[in-house]
Amino acid sequence: MHEVSIALGLLEFAAEYCEREGYKGIEAITVKIGKASGVMPEAFHFAFEAVKIGTIAEKACLTINEVPVSGFCSNCNKSFTVEETYVLSCPMCGKSSFRVETGRELNICEMEVF
Amino acid sequence: MKVKVVAQILEANDRIAAENRRLFKDSGVYVINLMSAPGAGKTSLIESTIKELHNKLRIGVIEGDIAGTDDAQRIESLGIPVVQINTGGACHLDANMISEAITDLPLKDLALLIIENVGNLVCPSEFKVGEDMKIMILSITEGDDKPLKYPLMFQESSALILNKIDLLPHTNADLKKIKNNSLSLNPSLKIFEVSCKTGEGISEWTSWLQSLVA
Repeated sequence: MHEVSIALGLLEFAAEYCEREGYKGIEAITVKIGKASGVMPEAFHFAFEAVKIGTIAEKACLTINEVPVSGFCSNCNKSFTVEETYVLSCPMCGKSSFRVETGRELNICEMEVF
Repeated sequence: MKVKVVAQILEANDRIAAENRRLFKDSGVYVINLMSAPGAGKTSLIESTIKELHNKLRIGVIEGDIAGTDDAQRIESLGIPVVQINTGGACHLDANMISEAITDLPLKDLALLIIENVGNLVCPSEFKVGEDMKIMILSITEGDDKPLKYPLMFQESSALILNKIDLLPHTNADLKKIKNNSLSLNPSLKIFEVSCKTGEGISEWTSWLQSLVA
């Protein structure tokens, strides 16, 4: 449900950016959303379509690139990816000598502006 | 034209949160953001904390609820400055709501501000409001599967308060499992076992909190 607030945050950023840089509108926005970010892509899409009406991004289409949860284990000296939204231990050796590297992203990557 | 943008989606919220944080720091007030599922005991913990600390610290409270003023009335009856935010449907507090609410509080007179977030185990962990620390409550009756079902809040919090510990014998909850999984998600998490009803463990929590504020 907080996807609406996050979509509003995205539009706020996009509108400020266009005003500052002198663009009239937005045709497309690409974002990166981590699987462990707590944001559901479907709900975010739905929220974006609802809140973009009447804004500078009214005609913009949204592309969401999902980022899996991944980490690096110093014991195995290797990266790994997991299906879950968390990592309790390295999936290869079972030890806790790992750091989580991706999965928490909530980033804007690219916009098509005119 | 395509433009590469590197920014956080919640940048606008984070910016206001940073402004709130600066204001709190200038006013000399320590701020905690208290989060949990509905009914875990946020307001009860605030009441217990006030009873224990009000002679030592000046405390203020912001109550976040979708609707109603019941919680604010409970706090007001203890003689504590309180502001009620009604989010009108939003499932969490954001930095802007806090920025408006604090204009009604005597910030400079306070040493500790407790922000009670909307009852929800997901959304509040996503939004910074300018706090020094996020604290979460999990009541034992919610079950021992919660850390792995809602990992984000356990990862974002500095302390986990396990409330309703007096009910442990009446549930199937495995306390060790809750603690182990919580610590695996967040090794620096400080864990307190309390019962707001019996008062068990409250002084350990409030002593720790007081040491952070002082």
